Amino acid sequence: MLAVCAKEPGLDSKVDERFGRAEYYVIFDEAKNMPQSIENKAKFEAGGAGGTAVRLLNENGVDVLLAPELGPKAMDAIKAFEMTVYRYTEQKTVRETIEDYKAGKLSKIDTSTTPSKHGLRKV
Amino acid sequence: MRIAILSGKGGTGKTTVATNLLSVSDNGVLIDTDVEEPNSHLFLKPQIHHSEAIKKRYPIVDETLCNLCGACGDFCRFNAILPAKKQVLVFKELCHDCGGCQMVCPQGAIQYKERSIGMVHTGKTDTNQVMHYGELIVGEISGVPIIERLHQITKDEDLVFIDSPPGTACSTVAAIESADYAIIVAEPTPFGVSDMKMVVELLRNLHIPMGVVVNKDGLGDDEIYRYCETESVHILGRIPFKKEYARHYAGGTLISKVDEEYRKNLTGILAQVIGRKEGV
Amino acid sequence: MKTKEIAVISGKGGTGKTSLVASMMPYFDNVVLADCDVDAPDLHILLKEEDIVEEDFIGLQRPVLDEDKCILCGKCAESCNFNAISDDIEFRLSKCEGCGVCEMVCPVDAISMQDYVVGKIYTSVTDQGEMVRARLIPGEETSGRLVAEVRKKAKETAQAKGREWILIDGSPGIACNVISSITGVSKVILVIEPTVSGLHDLKRVHELVESFSIESMVVLNKADLSADGAAEIEAYCKAQGLEIALRIPFRESMVEAVVNKMLPPLYDPEFFSGLGFREFTDKLKS
Repeated sequence: MLAVCAKEPGLDSKVDERFGRAEYYVIFDEAKNMPQSIENKAKFEAGGAGGTAVRLLNENGVDVLLAPELGPKAMDAIKAFEMTVYRYTEQKTVRETIEDYKAGKLSKIDTSTTPSKHGLRKV
Repeated sequence: MRIAILSGKGGTGKTTVATNLLSVSDNGVLIDTDVEEPNSHLFLKPQIHHSEAIKKRYPIVDETLCNLCGACGDFCRFNAILPAKKQVLVFKELCHDCGGCQMVCPQGAIQYKERSIGMVHTGKTDTNQVMHYGELIVGEISGVPIIERLHQITKDEDLVFIDSPPGTACSTVAAIESADYAIIVAEPTPFGVSDMKMVVELLRNLHIPMGVVVNKDGLGDDEIYRYCETESVHILGRIPFKKEYARHYAGGTLISKVDEEYRKNLTGILAQVIGRKEGV
Repeated sequence: MKTKEIAVISGKGGTGKTSLVASMMPYFDNVVLADCDVDAPDLHILLKEEDIVEEDFIGLQRPVLDEDKCILCGKCAESCNFNAISDDIEFRLSKCEGCGVCEMVCPVDAISMQDYVVGKIYTSVTDQGEMVRARLIPGEETSGRLVAEVRKKAKETAQAKGREWILIDGSPGIACNVISSITGVSKVILVIEPTVSGLHDLKRVHELVESFSIESMVVLNKADLSADGAAEIEAYCKAQGLEIALRIPFRESMVEAVVNKMLPPLYDPEFFSGLGFREFTDKLKS
């Protein structure tokens, strides 16, 4: 199953610019061609939203994720849950982003795109 | 006696007052609990003779015992432990060290390890006065364990000056809650009064007697004096705004060492605080 | 329209961060203000606010005790790693980090974790644009999430009203609330005074900004306070390739403006035109 970070529920929502604090995830079953939207409960977390969001997606059977920025903790979690991630950089709709993915226009990523938000270099 | 020096916001002269009070006292010790931005050592210029790392615990999971049941991840409210497909991930910098994951683990697979979150440095000034300052590693979430250690190592001292973190958050509470008296350093501007109100509210909640030192007096207006009168907050002293004070500060010089009038002013403030212990 | 955010931060407090944001406001027409300095939320003092809407901010969950059920066994107090429960089962909530261990260990279900309000978020309309700010209850922790919430509301407002800019008065320090003030912004301004502590703090905060690869520039405030201090900062910036976009000498009129509850450029326009303040804000907009 495929998931896309979205600002609102549904295929016509704009994609969200954040992963861990995305408002919603639109989960798309490619075999059945059926979208389902879930609210991202991890967005309310004070810290570590990324890892918990990955756990939530795993519980919903997601194995492919389309996302914008990804922090190092989220990336570690994605690897530990054996998911694949493709990165989008444009503010399109969920539907258009899925089309881009199917057309092979999104690139696969396996390292985080932003630095750690905690535990930076030592003093 | 433990005297906290605090302010609603940074830059009001808290560190200047704290370090100069130490300088005019005979037997005082200073702890700098502003562990995010410790500055008092820049003025006191101590010779550091002892440094210790402050540790916090985080969980490690024994994979041979873990059955990936997920109980630890369900319990942790800080997202610090994440049971995944074949392993459990630990994000140690998110861990608050509450001990909960170990308690809920049915397999006994969780142990704790220590990691360093910052330092406490101890040194002596050129006049042989002792100071300790804490330093939090950049990006760490909480300096409270460092602040607690600073209190612990000075608990038997007769006179301790606590240079506190600015603001009114929980690190400030940790810094001042054991204080016998609090000196609020405030500027006579609308910003200064607004920030000071929050400090007064906090000190009243904690039942700590307080007095105010108005710093940069003459630069603003008299709203602060009206506020103190209405709220019956004692004014311990006024430090006039002088460009030469600002220059001494900028150069890292202790003003009381080079300016007799300033020294007298601070000595007077300290004598009042020691005398007023039971006030307000 | 894509809204762009500019954050003003300072490492330590009291370097004139809020005064700088207040000075920038008249140069931005189409702007939303986000006061993320939740420890000292002072920007609103200089503005006339109308239509203030107040909302609770739930920071975390904390324990609530059902005294009828409690058998005073002391398990919760014994298990709490934060020393937040006394032997006679009084909660010291200011020490509680909300971990939930007490709820878990209670053998008679007398403790339940419940939403806890740690502050308020205010949205309003001012003569300079819409504004979002927050205030914490004294003793509560500034969380990165509160800052994120203020920024989110500012973004929503900007989008709804078609505003081009968001000016962020950032949190002081270098902890997670500062990080929340700057992630994803287009430019960061570091306000620094030429003092020994100023340089020390600049290094720490610059290190933080660098790690996020955000374009940053320095404003040297009270630049004439110490020639040596200024020279040190100039040297540091030069070595780091960090631009000093503006040097502001000390002027009593800056303080007088605040005392009169006016925005500094409206109080002393000549000083600001002499500084090249418009050129500075134009650079920020480019």
